Amino acid sequence: MRFFRFIGFAVVRAWQGFWRNAMMSLATTATVVLMLVLLSGLMIVLGGLDSGLRFIESRVAVTARLVDDLTAEQIDVLVAETRAQPGVESVDYVSPEAALERLRQFYADLGLTLNFGGANITLYGSVEVGLTTPSASGSVAAFLEERAEVVRITTRQGDYDKLVGIIDTIRLAGLAAIGLVGLTVLFMIVNTIRIAVYARASEIEIMRLVGASDAFIRWPFILEGILCGLIGAGVTLLLVAFIWDPIQPVMVGVFQMPTAVTVDFLTTLSGVVLGVGLGVGALGSWISVRSNLAASA
Amino acid sequence: MTQAAAAAPSGSPPGRPVIEMVDLGMTYPNGKVALSDVTVRIPAGDFVFLVGPSGAGKSTFIRLVVREQVPTSGWVAVEGRDLSRLRRSQVPAIRRRIGVVFQDFRLLPSKTVFENVAFALEVTGASGAEIRRRVPRLLSLVGLQEHAQHLPNQLSGGEQQRVAIARALVHAPAILIADEPTGNLDPVTSWEILQLLIQINAMGTTVLMATHNQEIVNAMRRRVLALERGMLVRDESSAVYERQY
Repeated sequence: MRFFRFIGFAVVRAWQGFWRNAMMSLATTATVVLMLVLLSGLMIVLGGLDSGLRFIESRVAVTARLVDDLTAEQIDVLVAETRAQPGVESVDYVSPEAALERLRQFYADLGLTLNFGGANITLYGSVEVGLTTPSASGSVAAFLEERAEVVRITTRQGDYDKLVGIIDTIRLAGLAAIGLVGLTVLFMIVNTIRIAVYARASEIEIMRLVGASDAFIRWPFILEGILCGLIGAGVTLLLVAFIWDPIQPVMVGVFQMPTAVTVDFLTTLSGVVLGVGLGVGALGSWISVRSNLAASA
Repeated sequence: MTQAAAAAPSGSPPGRPVIEMVDLGMTYPNGKVALSDVTVRIPAGDFVFLVGPSGAGKSTFIRLVVREQVPTSGWVAVEGRDLSRLRRSQVPAIRRRIGVVFQDFRLLPSKTVFENVAFALEVTGASGAEIRRRVPRLLSLVGLQEHAQHLPNQLSGGEQQRVAIARALVHAPAILIADEPTGNLDPVTSWEILQLLIQINAMGTTVLMATHNQEIVNAMRRRVLALERGMLVRDESSAVYERQY
């Protein structure tokens, strides 16, 4: 019961403290919102790019165009030996007829009709190799290039590397920006709690004299910082929920592929925003309480 | 429970020292010697005046007893516990054995009389039922039950000091330290406060009162500890205070 009384006391005092110093508390909360909006934006953009990455990974990583007139046995041997290479997940032979049908379907999907103008066109047969990891692309391509059955190799390694580069750059720049804003937020929280400590100096003095424990003196201030962080996180999640639907077409337009709109992603985003809000609030107020109340015996 | 029982100290048999200082010294980092070689033993139930001019070391004496500071030499014990050896987490328990009142009352202006006294219980984890039971008894003891819902600025100086005394007694301390409790009060009110302190002392609480009020000290004829330039220059029972400053 004593523990619950302590929790009740600390929460009520933190709430009173937040509103007693409302201007500073709300300014701090606003900086928390700014930081968390940046963080959410970064997560959404990176989520979209990661989704694009997975989209590329899910496609055929290496395609080997084959010479004409291979026998079924030669094709079977090539498929079997390719399948035995490290990093290979799947190997599919696409016959010239199947390739033509695929092209016809592609046109149909666009609402067009494939028309060669009466010419008798035969497409190449090919082997499409799926990889367990995109990094195996180089070794598999090298293996296929050595084969006499293969005319030309195409890979999506270039696209993949380019996207990975973009993601790394955005992640680095985003984290740097969030780090800078995070430091500002910490500074704001430290100062807000410092002001709160000074504003309640006489209460703290009385609390010490009548034998209040450190927990009773310190935790209301720490909870006040956590409150700034949690309110900031709540406002951020409301903003994200509000703009989520309107930004979806933009996301699809920008990334040109399905975005990461999943329940898992939203759960992770909510958890990270709440966790970072709580964490930065707790850290800032803890630093402030440590430096402003530590000297007292 | 009677009013007396509400404020009665626990765990300090009469005669046993509640405050003990041996070869106590306190030198501040700037080199100022606040106390030097002070040896004092105050038994439970005693009423002691601490006198001396400004800068004599009275405030340092009190700060050492409430463990706001630790001595640079010697030792001070409260109820047999050496305060220098206390862990930080043990300090609050010792402070609940000591009530303190000040010249400037140090009440919270935005809280009512009831809330000011209740605050001291609330911040030490007392239940609502305990607060509702104990605070009215303490207010009754100091004669302020009719003023429970008043704010401090609606009270006279003497009444504010009574609130401070009620708050100091909230944990039924063994010791009540009064630092110039009559310094801001007129003579009549000062005597009323002194009568209240005598009443509390009669219930068994040891009272240590720092004062400049020569009239009160001389009229009371109690034990007097006189400090000058950090030294204990006089420790006499039934003494008078010949103020020279």
